[in-house]
Amino acid sequence: MQLYDPTVTGPERNFARAAALGDLDGKTVGILENGKLNAVNMLRATADLFEQRHGCTIAPVYSKSNASAPAFGETLEVAAKNVDFLITGLGD
Amino acid sequence: MPLDSARIHDVPDDLLAAIDYCFDQGWTDGLPVVPPSVGRVKKMLQYEGRPPETVIASHPATGFECTVHAAAVNAVMAGCKPEYFPVVVAALEAMNEPDFNFHGSTASTGGSAPLMIVSGPMADELGMNSDVNLFGPGNRANATMGRAIRLILINVFQMIPGISDKSTQGHPGKFTFCIAERSRDNPWPLLVEDQDYPESVSSVTVLAGGGFCNVENHGGKTPEQVLGSVADAMANYGCITLGQSAVVLAPEHVRVIEAAGWNKTQVKEFLFSQAYRKVDGMKSVGKYRQREYDKQHADGGTHPLVKGGQLHRGLTPDDILVIMGGGDAGGHSCFIPSWSRARSSLMQSKPIGVCIDCN
Repeated sequence: MQLYDPTVTGPERNFARAAALGDLDGKTVGILENGKLNAVNMLRATADLFEQRHGCTIAPVYSKSNASAPAFGETLEVAAKNVDFLITGLGD
Repeated sequence: MPLDSARIHDVPDDLLAAIDYCFDQGWTDGLPVVPPSVGRVKKMLQYEGRPPETVIASHPATGFECTVHAAAVNAVMAGCKPEYFPVVVAALEAMNEPDFNFHGSTASTGGSAPLMIVSGPMADELGMNSDVNLFGPGNRANATMGRAIRLILINVFQMIPGISDKSTQGHPGKFTFCIAERSRDNPWPLLVEDQDYPESVSSVTVLAGGGFCNVENHGGKTPEQVLGSVADAMANYGCITLGQSAVVLAPEHVRVIEAAGWNKTQVKEFLFSQAYRKVDGMKSVGKYRQREYDKQHADGGTHPLVKGGQLHRGLTPDDILVIMGGGDAGGHSCFIPSWSRARSSLMQSKPIGVCIDCN
């Protein structure tokens, strides 16, 4: 008996990691929140640690309109120009 | 013709062994599947006019694509007859609309399942159940078409329970969640007519549905009494969000409502106006969010029925889908909430087996 495989082969994706920062001192940290109940609180508290420990500057918060979908490209483009690194998380 | 690139597994000519083989490959939903033999898949493909390599849905995050062929393989496994296949294809196309967000609604802890509602003549032509035990077992078309969608989510899109499907609890509709709208003795226009599809066309509507909430009312004698109990279910603290709703009214309840001369628009408006919680109440259970309140109330509100100090379920009466379904006897309707407090999935519909305004 011959059976078809019900799965499909995934596409090849050309994703590459961004180069790691040499250090965090004095860098600008961005926050990308997803709209969940505690997202901003949790991310703000995390950013505060970067401020205390590394003298980071905290940029204005960027938001996603939908927690379960990718951020708009324009949002990421603006963030990329204004911050050295971005933190995000669920915060439910 | 099958795809040249489709992978084929040679297994012994032993049906039970083939079923076990499918289990061993991780291709099932936990129940036995029909082994997707080449011959059965070819028969399934005869009910779709497009080439088997045609992509009908794509996963936005992983890039996995569901072709007509892959859908047919999984429909065979679910136990579908070939004539069911156009419904499965149309449901997938509806789920592929970005606003349905099938990735989010499947992956989320919220644990929803795509509720498929077939409306129009095809429901009867396929022998679907729109009557007694509507959401229960016993009908091949209902059971297998809904199951095909789940198997496609698992096998094609790799939405694996516990790995990429992180439902906190899920619900039984994640095995299959497919019904037909009842046309017999239905005093109102069918859903497919409300959707303005051409006459004789059938449609399938998909809603990322949370768990099923039974609404029992055997004593209500007026629309306000019957629908008041439905609205109360819609507004319970565990369910109330800005999300959409599916309300399946039992014929016994419809008879009460129709006898008073109410149409579906009146039903929706009444439900929307009554399915609310006060702000203080939302705060008392820790669910109040200013952002959600503002979304509903800013600039005069999303609908004239929105009242200050209240959080209504949904944004407008049209966020409530109302159909009739179930057996003649019994005051048992139901409410099914959509997934996502933030309206991250919105219901979608497609015509079945036809292409309208397509390029």
